[in-house]
Amino acid sequence: MDEAQVVGLLVRRCVGGDAAAWEEIVQRHHRRIYNICYRFAGDPDNAQDLTQEVFIKMYRTLNTYDSGKGAFMTWVTTITRNLLVDHFRKSKGDRLTDSMDSAPSEHEDAQPLSEQIADRGLPPDAHVQSRETREFVHQALQKLSPELREAVILRDLQDMDYREIATALRVPEGTVKSRINRGRAELARLLQRTYRQVI
Amino acid sequence: MPGENQHGIGCTEFETLLTEAIEGQLTGARKEGFEAHRRVCSVCGPLFADVQAGQQWLRSLEEVEPPAHLVHNILAATTGISSTRVLATTPDASTTPFGERLREWWDSFVTPVAGFVRQPRFVMSFGMIFFSFSLALNAAGVKPSDVAKIDLRPKALRHTYNDLQIQVVKYYDNIRFVYEIESKVREIKRAARPAEPAAEQPKQNPKNNTSGQPDQRQDRNYSRDENQPVLAALPDAPPAVKGTTNRRFV
Ligand SMILES: [Zn+2]
Repeated sequence: MDEAQVVGLLVRRCVGGDAAAWEEIVQRHHRRIYNICYRFAGDPDNAQDLTQEVFIKMYRTLNTYDSGKGAFMTWVTTITRNLLVDHFRKSKGDRLTDSMDSAPSEHEDAQPLSEQIADRGLPPDAHVQSRETREFVHQALQKLSPELREAVILRDLQDMDYREIATALRVPEGTVKSRINRGRAELARLLQRTYRQVI
Repeated sequence: MPGENQHGIGCTEFETLLTEAIEGQLTGARKEGFEAHRRVCSVCGPLFADVQAGQQWLRSLEEVEPPAHLVHNILAATTGISSTRVLATTPDASTTPFGERLREWWDSFVTPVAGFVRQPRFVMSFGMIFFSFSLALNAAGVKPSDVAKIDLRPKALRHTYNDLQIQVVKYYDNIRFVYEIESKVREIKRAARPAEPAAEQPKQNPKNNTSGQPDQRQDRNYSRDENQPVLAALPDAPPAVKGTTNRRFV
């Protein structure tokens, strides 16, 4: 049995009322969802609440999952992402909501990133080892716009492929690639700034 | 061959190829054209460097450890039970796992009193009698050692207990009540024993009965965290995992 079949079976058992199957699903996915939420929301408390919400939503809608329409992981990611959007609506107000939902043109295209970059900072390799550095990276990630943040999280932290990300975010693959590259570049710019101040 | 002349490709095409280039998937002429443009273009060159650096920063982030109680909380928030894993080997009998768990719990804490648990009324009566008796002894100045020797565990009662084990699920409310009674009695015992401040220590209980565990276990139950979730997890109504789950999914 491959992974998809195993998951499909688990989902069927779960929909049939098997509590052990549900626990298996939770065990398999909580770590990943927690990490997405943590990197997106920025702090453990929110991450925990959001993860719990994701599973409550999953539990209620598991019977709507259709394995023919895509991988379970993508389905789970979609639920997670939608809740993250909701979380933003609540916590940041409507301004950011617009930014999440509407075409990404506005601020993404306002100025080519390369023009915003004044100079080159230290190469990342010199720093990636330290825990402090990772904390800087995590903080810088929080400063990215939500749509860039979610894109780089799914690609560079969760290692999802572009097609899966496009499905989860409901945008074309080209847009996904563009956001990922913008997100990476902007993060580098923020960190270079940070290092100029710190070092 | 579009990559051979000049810098090979324009800025737009460079951006199109950026993702593949960063991931090392460009080959041949396309790669050459891309590299040529990167070297000479004052916009695309730095952009590439940033994208690459950002990717490295991001990939330096390690997976974080979820809180230990997260799974428990999720299960409690969805199915209402903290875990099915401690239990059970028979997946089809949805009530069996809970019964098993309850039996373990029962065995470890309330064995001596369990024999009395035949029906709710009886538990109430027993509890009240026992409580009153203990109070009376206490008030009458009976020595603590005497109180401690009150034998709650005659063999005959243990037989009854064994017969009744399977009915545990129905009676857990009563068990809880007996718990409270036992706790109260224990408090009285302690109060009557001022010269023994370390009364909680298991070995100090002078019982010679092999099942002299209840008193120390009672302490565990009321003071140690590990026992709290068990009580807290007991639903108000007899648990019916399957039914609950079905209802939620429909
Ligand atoms: Zn260019």
